This record gives sequence, C-alpha cells and structure tokens, in this order.
Amino acid sequence: MSAYNPGTELDLSWISKIQVNQPAVLRRAEQIQARRTVKKEWQAAWLLKAVTFIDLTTLSGDDTPSNVQRLCYKAKYPIREDLLKALNMHDKDITTAAVCVYPARVCDAVKALKAAGCTIPVASVATGFPAAQTHLKTRLQEIILAVEDGAMEIDVVINRTLVLTGQWEALYDEIRQFRKACGKAHLKTILATGELGSLTNVYKASMIAMMAGSDFIKTSTGKETVNATFPVAIVMLRAIRDFFWKTGNKVGFKPAGGIRSAKDSLAWLSLMKEELGEEWLKPELFRIGASTLLSDIERQIYHHVTGRYAAYHDLPMS
Amino acid sequence: MAATRAVPRAREIFNTLEYGPVPESHACALAWLDTLDRCLGHYVNGKWLKPEHRNSVPCQDPITGENLATCLQAQAEDVVAAAEASRTALENWSGVPGASRAQHLTRLAKMIQKHQRLLWTLESLVTGRAVREVRDRDIPLAQQLLQHYAVQAHTQEEALAGWEPMGVIGLILPPTFSFLEMMWRICPALAMGCTVVVLVPPASPTPLLLAQLAGELGPFPGILNMISGPASLGPVLASQPGVQKVAFCGAVEEGRALRRTLAGIGPELGLALGAESLLLLTETADVDSAVEGIVDAAWSDRSPGGLRLLIQESVWDETMRRLQARMGRLRSGRGLDGAVDMGVRGAAAYELAQRYVCEAQSQGAQVFQAGDVPLDSPFFPPTLVSDLPPASPCTQAEVPWPLVVASPFRTAKEALAMANGTPRGGSASVWCERLGQALELGYRLQMGTVWINAHGLRDPAVPTGGCKESGSSWHGGLDGLYEYLQPSGTPARLPYLSENMNYDTFGLAVPSTLPAGPETGPSPAPPYGLFVGGRFQAPGSRSSRPIQDSHGNLHGYVAEGGAKDIRGAVEAAHQAAPGWVSQSPGTRAALLWALAAALERRESTLALRLERQGVELKAAKAEVELSVRRLRAWGARAQTQGHYLQVTELRGPVLRLREPLGVLAIVCPDEWPLLAFVSLLALALAYGNTVVLVPSGTCPFPVLDVCQDMATLLPVGLVNVVTGDRDHLTRCLALHQDVQALWYFGSAQGSQFVEWASAGNLKPVWVNRGCPRAWDQEAKGTGPELELRAARTKSLWLPMGD
Repeated sequence: MSAYNPGTELDLSWISKIQVNQPAVLRRAEQIQARRTVKKEWQAAWLLKAVTFIDLTTLSGDDTPSNVQRLCYKAKYPIREDLLKALNMHDKDITTAAVCVYPARVCDAVKALKAAGCTIPVASVATGFPAAQTHLKTRLQEIILAVEDGAMEIDVVINRTLVLTGQWEALYDEIRQFRKACGKAHLKTILATGELGSLTNVYKASMIAMMAGSDFIKTSTGKETVNATFPVAIVMLRAIRDFFWKTGNKVGFKPAGGIRSAKDSLAWLSLMKEELGEEWLKPELFRIGASTLLSDIERQIYHHVTGRYAAYHDLPMS
Repeated sequence: MAATRAVPRAREIFNTLEYGPVPESHACALAWLDTLDRCLGHYVNGKWLKPEHRNSVPCQDPITGENLATCLQAQAEDVVAAAEASRTALENWSGVPGASRAQHLTRLAKMIQKHQRLLWTLESLVTGRAVREVRDRDIPLAQQLLQHYAVQAHTQEEALAGWEPMGVIGLILPPTFSFLEMMWRICPALAMGCTVVVLVPPASPTPLLLAQLAGELGPFPGILNMISGPASLGPVLASQPGVQKVAFCGAVEEGRALRRTLAGIGPELGLALGAESLLLLTETADVDSAVEGIVDAAWSDRSPGGLRLLIQESVWDETMRRLQARMGRLRSGRGLDGAVDMGVRGAAAYELAQRYVCEAQSQGAQVFQAGDVPLDSPFFPPTLVSDLPPASPCTQAEVPWPLVVASPFRTAKEALAMANGTPRGGSASVWCERLGQALELGYRLQMGTVWINAHGLRDPAVPTGGCKESGSSWHGGLDGLYEYLQPSGTPARLPYLSENMNYDTFGLAVPSTLPAGPETGPSPAPPYGLFVGGRFQAPGSRSSRPIQDSHGNLHGYVAEGGAKDIRGAVEAAHQAAPGWVSQSPGTRAALLWALAAALERRESTLALRLERQGVELKAAKAEVELSVRRLRAWGARAQTQGHYLQVTELRGPVLRLREPLGVLAIVCPDEWPLLAFVSLLALALAYGNTVVLVPSGTCPFPVLDVCQDMATLLPVGLVNVVTGDRDHLTRCLALHQDVQALWYFGSAQGSQFVEWASAGNLKPVWVNRGCPRAWDQEAKGTGPELELRAARTKSLWLPMGD
C-alpha cells in the first residue's frame, strides 16, 4: 500500500444536504446479491482474489504468541499449495492482505511474519478498541506505541458519542490527530456503523473520516451486535465515490464482522465492482476483515479442483 | 454473446475479475416441448387441441433464432370450441362453494411451486427476459396471487354476498407482456366462479403450460381454456354466447380499436393499456437510490415499457452524472444467464426502440447509451434520451422499452403539470425526502399507482389500474375481484347491436321544433333555460322544445341545448372541479343534506309535476320522499371512502384512495324522472365529481325545479343541466375529449354509440343497453355497484424506514 489520502479541509456543506432513503437502500442491497453471480473458473479465480483482500484477524482476549504465529503462517500460505498448482496459480504469491491483531500482539505478529520471510503488513486496532470510550490522550498514545512496534496499518475506532451528538468538527479534529499519530502507517477508520443510529449518519461519518485523511473506512469492529451489512456498505461506497468525484482521491473500503462464507465474499466483491468499479478491486483499496472466511474459501477451492467436498481434516487449521 | 466468448483460464480472470457466463440449463423446457412433439396447439377442456389444416408460426429462441416448436394458429371455430367448453364448465364451477374453489386454486399454486424450474426456464427461453426476474419475482408473485385469491374465494359467500360471478370471461393478451399479466386477471376471475378463455399471442408457450398444469389438477378441466392465435380473433371471442366480459391489455391504439369494434356486442370491456411509466425526481431526493429506481423501472426486465423521467433542474447535472455512471455497469445478455440485468425482447421491440431513438435524434435530442451489451445480436442497450424539445412529436409519444426520456422541471407545480399533461395515467414514482411535498405529489398525480421513493412494487392485495388512456380496469385487491362480479340477478349481457347504426350521423342533426300551443295546467310555470355555471341561461340555438304531459297537452317548453352549450357546461364543470375535489367529505355531505331539505320543501310542486306526466299522486309523493332519502344516504356515505392496506413485502402502508372521475356526464333515463336523477347526481357528487347532466326527455321539469335550489346551495358550475335532443346531446358528450366519464341511460342505439365514441379518450362509460332500471329498489339505486362506478381507485405506496 503506497498512496495516502491527504484529506481535505473540513467542509460541512458536503454532508449537510445528504439524503439517504433507508427502504430504498435495503431494496438495492437485496437486489445486488441476486443480480450478479460467478460460476466455475470465474468463481475459483474470484475466490482466490478474495483471499488477497483478507485482513486475517484475531481479536480475542485469549490471544497468545502461539496462535498469532499460526495465524501469520496461514496468512503467508492461505491455500494449500497443490490446489494452487492445479489452478496454475502457485506462482502468483497469493497471501492475505494483512494480519490484524490487538496492539499488544503486534510484536508477536511482526516477529512471526519476519520468521516466515514475508512482507505482509501487520495491522493493529487502536484507540480504545472496540468502544473508544477512553481519553483522547491514551487513544493517541496507543496508536504511537503500535506503530513503534511495527504496525503498518492502524484500525482506529471513531468516537460514536461525537456522531450521535452531531459534533462533526470535533470528530474531524480527532481523526486528524489519529492521522498525524499514525505517521507512515496507513489509517483505517472504523465507523462502528451498528451504533450510529441511521444510514444518514453513516454517510456523514464516512465523509468526515475521509475528509480527515482516512486511507480506509471500515464498517465495524466485529464487536457490535450489527456488523458488516450490505445496506451500510452501499451507503459507505456511495460516500467513497462522492469523495473521489469531489477530490480525485481514492479511499479504500473494509467490511468486517460476520463475513464467514465464500459465497458472502463473492457478493462483497461484486458489490465493490458494481458500486465503484474494477479499479477498487485491489488490496490497496479493498479489504475484508475476517477470521473464519479463509477456511471456507479454501474448502470451495478444494471442491472446485477435486470435485469433492473436503473433510474437516483435509485442510490445515489456521 | 456471453456463451461464445472465449473462455479465459483462472489466471486471466484473477487479473481482470470479469464476470463469466452463468447459464441456466433449459433442458427441462426442451423436454417439455418434446412431450408435445414440438408442436403447440391450444389447451381446451383439459386436453390439448391440435386441429388439422391450421396455419402455424414458429416459436423461436429470440437470440439464436433456433426453432423451438411450431404453434398452431387458431381459427374462429377453435375459439367457438373454447367458449363452448368454458360455458359448460361455468355451471359446475360457479355452483361449487367458494371453499372448494379456494382449495383448487391452492392446489394450482402448489403445482406451480413443484414445476417452477420448468416454468421459469421456459418463460425466459422463449421471451428472452432475464431469468432472475422470472425466477425471483414472477413465479413467487404468481403463487402469491393464487393464494391471495384462494382466500378471497374462501370467504366469498360471506364477504361478497349480493354479488355473483359474471360468467365466461374472455382475456386477450399482448405479445410483449409476461405471463404474469394473465395471472393477475385469471386468478380473481377463477376465484369468484367465472371461467376463462384466454387468447394468447402466437408462440407463447408459458400460458399454455400453466393451462396444462391447471387442467391436470382434475375435476374442473374446462375452467381455463387457452387459445393461441392473433389478436384479430378478439371480436370473435367477444361475440361468443355466454362471454360476459372481455379483458384486454396491450397497446393503446389496439385497445381503442377493440373498444370501437365491441360497441354494442354485449360483453363489458376492461382495458389496461400502455406500458410507459413515470419517475419524478425532486431536489430533496436520495439521488443514488432514485437512480436505482430508474434501473428498476426501465432496465431490469420488469416493466414492458419505457420510462419518462422528470428531474428537478437544480439536481439535473448531478443526477445525469450518477445515472450515466450507473448505466455503464448494466449487463445485458442471454435471458437464461443468471448474471444479466436485461435480456432481449424480440425484433419488434428492437425496431420500435430503434425508430424512437432515430426520430428523437432527428428532433434534436441527445442520446446516451452504455452498458456491457453484446454487439452481435438483437440486444438493445440501455438508452437515455435528453434535451428533447418540449413540443416535438417524440415528447408526446409513448416511450418504448428500454428507453428513458429525461426532461427538467423547475418547481413541483410544474412537474405536476408536465406529468399530468399526457394522455397516459398508468404508474409513477415520486422521489422526495420531504414528507409534505411527497404526499402532495403523490395525491395530485393523475395515475393509477404512485410509489413514494420506490418503483415497480406489486402485491396481490393492492389494486393496480390506471386512468385516462391507460384504461379503467383494475387488477389486484378487491377492485380486481369486482371486475369479475355483478350484482346478483343481473340479466345476461346479450348483443344489442343495431344493424342500421351509422356512427357518423347518430344524433348529428336536431329536428327543428315549432310552437305547440299554449301552456296549460294548474302547476306553476316551470323554470326555463339551461342551468350552466350556476344560473339559467338561454341556449345557443335560441330555440325551444315543447314537452307534452301524459294527456298530450303542452306542459311547457325547455331550452334546446346544442354542442356549444355542452362545451360551455363542460368548461364550467372543469372550473368547479378543483374546488369540489378539495372539499372535505363532511362538507360534501352537508351540501347534499341541504339539497335534501330543499327537495322536501318543494315536495308538493315536484309531486304535481310528476303527476302531470301520468304518475299517480301517491306514487309521485313516494318518489319525492325516496329521492330525499337517497340524497341523505349518499351524503352520509361520502364520509367513508378509501382505506389502507397492509402488504407482505413492504414496511409501511399502501393507501387505497378513491378519487373522483372528474367531469362526469350523466344522461338520465326517461323513467323515474326525479328519482333516477337524484340517485345518479347524489352518487356523483358524494364522490367528488362535477357533473354535466341531461335530464329525462319526457319529464325534465322536476330537474329544472331542483336547479333553482342548486343555484343557491351549490358552488357555481358543480352541476350543469342541459336540456334538448337527447341523441344530439349524447353525441356531443360522448365525443367530447375532456369529459372524463359518461353514464348513459337511454336507448340501445344510444348505448352503442356511447360505447363506440368513448374510444376517443377512452373515458369509462356506464350504459344501460336500452334496458330500464328499477331505480326504486335499494340495490339498483344505492347498491355497492354504484359506488364502484363513481370513483376510481389509486394506490399510493408509502414505504417506511430510517
């Protein structure tokens, strides 16, 4: 990932007139899944592509060096070598896009990836993840420490209080400070859309986050009751397109939470393709935050190659 | 074409991330055609009918042109056979309890569920429409329709007491519509106990398959008969004995021609015409969602027609940018591909679209086309036409599939003027986030269906219809049921065709009238003049017509009204219309009650007038009394109109509004000169119509007496009464393009003329076919049938959510 979103001055006129009609967005969300589908070789290729978008994630209280190490290994070798060979894809260096952990596990992950000899970036959540109900000072400190430990990407959560009380300037200022604290690391801003109250707020928060210089906007922490849903994604993608049309800067999108099946991942890919186009279908601009998705994709690839459904023990655990 | 593109390997796809073909196997459709030896006949009385020596047309794959089957074209005798089968089945089917019919329909719904793959692949294969649309929308909706109407059949005896099935229904379908149009009509007809003959266009196997599925259910084989043949057989079907109603959906001009042909033939005619829809996008809209609405309306293989798009000028550029970007992502291809938005519609639709585009360009329009569309075949790309000059012929013409014609508007008021300024009144959507404005637009659009912030939603419980030239029949909901019901005891509709009818000369000239002796008699001198615009006026002809009493003595003179007087009366009624429509039902009721009180005060005069026309004094008094009661009854009922519906797939209500027909012309019968007049007038006013009325020819004086009260009580122009030669006045009214509905009670010839002439603006008409009506009976004078006649239904969809 190279380009950064420089952001813009805060311009509240970009969000003041916005209208989002929720029932219409829900209908679009239903349709999009029924209107596009891929089969056979196309499905296999799309699934492999989906692997390269995954931020392979573990965010648990019981994370230890050993399971982080296993995760990193899986990130480097996400699909069984023989399956890739069968598809003639073994030389494409297919890895996941990043590994995503808590700040305290960044060191473990960096070490493990180095040992595996690969350059997959480590992403760290920060800023009082997942609730963001801590002091701004400690939230900023958290970012700085994670970057020092070697995190290349920081997934910050926004302060929902500011959204729900309409303090858009304050939100912009906070994210600006996060951006500064990130330094060379990329800033991915989690909007926690399940707690924003309305789709209109989702649009506004997306636009503010992009104006403040986020390189990615991300749906959710995975810890809210409602996670990555299509209606929310449609609104965020429309905000990304509007921001691109206004500034020429491409901001990435990361749905996270609840994406578990290979079929889901295909739907997300076609959603990106339909709403933003092929140019957004690269790891620099699209990520899927997931932990169990990868194994389902591997099972589908197994089935595509062998014509059989895999047993649990046929594929390595992650 | 998707299927013939070179197949790239996974490596290449990995880089491009393109879509691949997602073919749906149509093997089962071909296998079904094989069971019929690839030859489709007709389905009559539960059996395939394949008569010999018939012409045949090929049924082709619309993309490859491959011959899938041959279809026999029906001749008149095949239609006769089908009507015969329906007539025979009717006795049995209409006699069984509603619960049994409900069961039968439920079984058919299950049958469809069991064979859905066959249905959707066959439909998509033959019509070229995207399989997704057929599979995910049409088939489930067909099942829902059967289930919805099964419930209606189940409760028929209780809920619809006083109504009976009409009899044999003829249904004529156009070539470009989906089989669903047939389902919308046959489900309520069958549920209510009617039997149906469907005339399907050649080479449409899906309706035939449905008929076969229904026929194989067993005990009632003849209730649904399917004849495959050209629309020119329509009049043959209509004139079969026993056929009581003909339902037609298709192009406006075909409907008009059919209306003229069927004048006087007998069956009622229900028209649903045109396919254009309208989308109105205001500056407060969620533009991205509205763009999806446009895609739903025009480029999703959902609607058979094109879209007229009105965009508020302040968001014109933004909308165009988004719309054009969205168009670039549409995919068109073989209908049986699971990942296309649009399929094909055959050569005729292609040429129609092409012709429109060429003409629009020659008239100065900008044409934008985009999308992933195969170049090598009959695929027509999504097309956006803009900058069409307002007065150019294309602006007036109906927009064909798959075109969107966009024009800007400045204010909501102007948008209404533009939207209501076409002869079409089918469906429209309003995209607007301000509740007040959205409702204002929703209520004031002259359309059968209006969706707020959505487009193209359908549900079996919601009536769908139109106004103006979109026809005035409904399908769906209760209104859809009444299309196939009649009040119990209605005599069969027989042909009343007059052999020596000349439409060019009927009522053209008014025989001149001369003075006929002195006015005699005890009653006070009747008022003289035409009651137009709230006062008595001299007729344009400046001549009068004598009215005799029952002894042949001169009772008095009435003004001899003519074409110019009708014109003036219609204008006055139009001017009064907006004021009357906006009155609350309570105000309308109060005025009708005031009129009732005035009638009571005039009782003795009115009774005397009736007595001079040969009514016994006691009966005359009773007629006046009953008239007073009628006014009060309709006044009271003015308060209970419209209701809201709860719909399965929508969060939020659908309002079923009852809107006035507009300027309504009433030609009163000669019989019951006061009672019939009052019953019709009170009904019309209660529902918000403004009226131009021709009173009884033999006894117009009581009406003129009442006019004296109306002059003081009612708003100016609300009711206009024109006396004179009834045939001549009828002719003027029936041919008037701005009279929005016409009720005629007179001769058989007059009825036939009215039916014929109504084709001009396709106004709904109610004629008595020369049969007198017992106005003193409750059912005939205040029955629910009359309520249905006096207003039209509009469905207003209000999705909710935040």
